[in-house]
Amino acid sequence: MMEKDKILKEGLLEQYILGSLSKEDTATIESILQNDIELKQQLDLLEADLERISFENAIEPPLNVKLALQSELEESQVKKTNWVPLFAAASLAVLFLLGSLWMYTQWQNAEQNLESLQDRTVNLQQRLENLEQNYQLTSNRLETINNPNVVPLVLYGNHIAPNAKAVAYVNHKNKLVLINPQGLPKLPRDKTYQMWSDVEGEMVNMGVVPTDEKLVVLKYIDHAESLNITIEPAGGNDHPTVEQLVSYVIL
Amino acid sequence: MKTPQVDSELIARLSNGDKSALYGLYDKYSAALYGVIIRMCRDGAQAEDLLQETFVKIWRNIDRYDPDKGKFYTWAYRIARNTTLNSFKGKDNLIQSGDLSVYKDKATEPEPNYLQLKGSLKKLEPHHQEAIALIYFKGYTHQEAHEKMGVPLGTFKSYVRQALKQLRKSYTNELVWLWFIFEMIA
Repeated sequence: MMEKDKILKEGLLEQYILGSLSKEDTATIESILQNDIELKQQLDLLEADLERISFENAIEPPLNVKLALQSELEESQVKKTNWVPLFAAASLAVLFLLGSLWMYTQWQNAEQNLESLQDRTVNLQQRLENLEQNYQLTSNRLETINNPNVVPLVLYGNHIAPNAKAVAYVNHKNKLVLINPQGLPKLPRDKTYQMWSDVEGEMVNMGVVPTDEKLVVLKYIDHAESLNITIEPAGGNDHPTVEQLVSYVIL
Repeated sequence: MKTPQVDSELIARLSNGDKSALYGLYDKYSAALYGVIIRMCRDGAQAEDLLQETFVKIWRNIDRYDPDKGKFYTWAYRIARNTTLNSFKGKDNLIQSGDLSVYKDKATEPEPNYLQLKGSLKKLEPHHQEAIALIYFKGYTHQEAHEKMGVPLGTFKSYVRQALKQLRKSYTNELVWLWFIFEMIA
């Protein structure tokens, strides 16, 4: 009750209406007003007073104020509604960007896959060509060797090269001589094996025999009586070094 | 004369974003608020801007209005008053908040005719009239107004109370007359 007397006496309601009270005082007044009907009626009277004297002293504002207000609100609404398509457009742009990025990475992956496939194809092609060449070589050799007109001859090493062994294939019909030198022991770099034919006591050069090949083609010599292998300086010799005879076979 | 139901309906529509409701409230209250604003700032062009600003604030802040705490007009009046007082502060940064010295200087100039108070206020004694004018139409607080009038705060407060009592009395008489005339026309 003291509060209420104070409010009335201090003119706090009048100041409350003007909005000139502090926040705390305003809150206090509002909470008291909620429970005090008599005080609320007093406030209603004061509000009615303010409204009445305001209306009695009303001054009509120029029409342009309302027009300005209307255009301000319309403008702000236009801005508001504009957000929707803008947002949609922005979203679409982002989606498009993400989509493009995804497509780009997919494309890059596909490109890489294609490249590696192409590499593998080229690789496979080369291997196939190599295999074909090898096959051709092997089958040629086999054909040359595995022939009814071919006489295979084994040349065993003597005391100089006890474990040496070479196989010669001689085709008198086609005049071909081949030798498989794989069984001959490796020589130092400055030495080589060389093959000779003995024709009526004379040794005729058939060619050098490198040990790193599987089958070496040599010169066919007519009327040869035997085949002889000697060790000679690298590059071959004009005349055989008879002391270095490793192996021979009579035809 | 206003009917509270129409107000509450307009306010409900306004809360739903209906601009025409704001224009309805404008048609009803703009003149009353303009009368307050222009008496505070005494500048037609500025008062027009402030009135527009007041209604934009009403439009934006209608959700903060609570009908249980008071009438719509009281709420709108407070917005208009604060908007106008704030515009004085903003005008010159040297003026500290609450310092109305520039404004007070302006208030000592003779009042233009069209701004002189009308209606039942005219029937009040001059000191009662001034007390009401200072707080309701010139933006003074009670504290500032009693200093302006050169009377103790308690005295000033009783001026306001007495003035309002007088106003109500004359108004009731007028209402009886108005009702009588209204009935005659109807």
